[in-house]
Amino acid sequence: MELVDKYYDKAEYVETTSGNKVSRQTVLCGSQNIVLNGKCIVQSDAIIRGDLANVRTGRYCIISKDAVIRPPFKKFSKGVAFFPLHMGDHVYVGEGSIVNAASVGSYVYIGKNVVIGRRCILKDCCMIEDDAIVPPETVIPSFTLYSGSPAVRRDNLPDCTQDIMIDFTRNYYQHFIPKPKTKDELV
Amino acid sequence: MSYLIQKEYVKYECTCGSLKPISKLYFCRHCLELRCGYCVCHEVDSHYCSNCMEHLPSAEAKFRKNRCNTCFDCPNCFHTLSVRATTRSAEDGNTKTPTKHYYLACFFCRWTSRDVGIPDQTTGTGNWPVKELPFQETLNSYLEYYKVLAMRERNLKEKKTYSSPLIRGYSSFSEKFGLTSMIARKRAGLPPLSLGGKENTQSSLPKIVPSVAVDDVEPLPDTYFTDLTKITTLSQRHSYPMLQAETITSLHPQHRHFYIKCSLRCRRCEHNVSKPEYNPGSIKFKIQLAAYYHMPEVRIMTFEPLKIGKPSEIILKITNPTQHLTSLQFGSLINSEERKNLKTEEISETKKEKLPLELPRPIRNLQINTDVELPQCSVILPPRDDAAEYDDSADTHNFQDDTKVVVWRKGNKVAVKMKITPQNGMEGGEESIFGFSMEYGYVNTMPTLEQKQPLRAEIQVNLFISRATYHLRRIN
Repeated sequence: MELVDKYYDKAEYVETTSGNKVSRQTVLCGSQNIVLNGKCIVQSDAIIRGDLANVRTGRYCIISKDAVIRPPFKKFSKGVAFFPLHMGDHVYVGEGSIVNAASVGSYVYIGKNVVIGRRCILKDCCMIEDDAIVPPETVIPSFTLYSGSPAVRRDNLPDCTQDIMIDFTRNYYQHFIPKPKTKDELV
Repeated sequence: MSYLIQKEYVKYECTCGSLKPISKLYFCRHCLELRCGYCVCHEVDSHYCSNCMEHLPSAEAKFRKNRCNTCFDCPNCFHTLSVRATTRSAEDGNTKTPTKHYYLACFFCRWTSRDVGIPDQTTGTGNWPVKELPFQETLNSYLEYYKVLAMRERNLKEKKTYSSPLIRGYSSFSEKFGLTSMIARKRAGLPPLSLGGKENTQSSLPKIVPSVAVDDVEPLPDTYFTDLTKITTLSQRHSYPMLQAETITSLHPQHRHFYIKCSLRCRRCEHNVSKPEYNPGSIKFKIQLAAYYHMPEVRIMTFEPLKIGKPSEIILKITNPTQHLTSLQFGSLINSEERKNLKTEEISETKKEKLPLELPRPIRNLQINTDVELPQCSVILPPRDDAAEYDDSADTHNFQDDTKVVVWRKGNKVAVKMKITPQNGMEGGEESIFGFSMEYGYVNTMPTLEQKQPLRAEIQVNLFISRATYHLRRIN
């Protein structure tokens, strides 16, 4: 099934020169530490905690509504330290998901209401199903589908996952367009 | 993406008869046929631990019983255990510097190796104690017994085949053509000779103690039913069949199972259709013949609500993933049984090729309940152009399209309009399914011995498209 157009309010979103579309209703803490590498979408009420450590995303990352991107911490004997969070290209983070991972590879699909525990490593081409809980320090290998609580491998992903994800995020970006003005507004 | 999260609306018919979405199909360039996971050979390339990403060849993995040496699974919730460190001042008082002690902890259910009395280790990698398994010895003796038994039977078989004159005659060629006896035996499908030429039949089998059934079984204690928190669950017991701990105090961490990387091979021509790189961290392929990259992909774009007996429009989006221009023709479904018979006849007449073992064809229980009015003209699909993704200017292609058929086109994508009519007599909640065959030109760029030029072939594939049930409305 082809994606349908998703309209957004033009006044709500800021579009940068590199094509990032970021909602004004988001909480971007420490914005100087957040790097969105172009054509990313950050939807309303998403939280990105750049104040804790650097957050870097690749191209075509989609961060849905109410998602939280939060760099992980590690406890040491003398306190805690936060580690930067890197995300690859073509990553989709579903609504209401919390990502605490140390690294998220490219072509990763994270469903709705997922919790990714601290210092998890998500390799390229993997998928986390809706409502899964990934415990801290889990490694999710490539071409696997994890689901449940605690998340366990349920299935394998097809070999062409990379291109399916590229196609999906590109399509999503192309279908994420400002709401056309109604007749009353034009007058 | 729709292939990962949505129901599979568009299914292709594989050569073996099963219906699969395009993401799960392969296209063998040598046979020019579709292949699915059921009609290819799966070969294990490498084993790897999903936690530490260590990868091993099959032989070594077998030696390690397909388990990772360093990583453990939680016996309680099956999540991977992590190593935790604590500093503890030395108890004996001889040394004043505190030493680090390590134990295993599960970050999901908070189970620790201390819960079951496993002593802390002084090294992080830890020589974690190995649990003595109650039936290890008995099982080993059985294994030994059956190994000897199997060898004995094999030797008996070998003796029989020796007497056959045909085999003896074959091996006499060995000196003439420089074949070693080992290869000759292998060719004849015989097991290799035992070294030294000695008779390796062990006259006596090792002694085993057969299990004896017990008449009286002790009844379970009453506490068994009252204190369920201390009893292990079935899945906890099954995850460690050798131990099958009854109480949670006797649980023991177990080494983590390896995952595998598989390569796939066409059964007919024995060429690889998918071969991943050995490294488990890599997502690249040495050979990748997924159908997604070699045949037009069909997707539903939009559709009108369906009404029984009334035609409604459906728009399909077709994408050409190849580097070559192709043209599409649509026709009614081809009977795959007929096609197959035709093929086998051709083969048996021309090549007398030995057909590989084929699985029994699945009987399709998909009933076509919707008629479709197909476009009569052919549709041209331009090749894929990666650079076009960055080019926002309008397409320069000037195709003379029938506007009744082609409603939209961009780059290597085209939207085709069709009319579908659900048949009379359909139930209200029934799923509407229609099917057609799609013929497209495929350019085989792979040079063969006879043909160095790219070869053009017309390929036909059956497609089945279903729409969700709730869109169906009966009009009264």
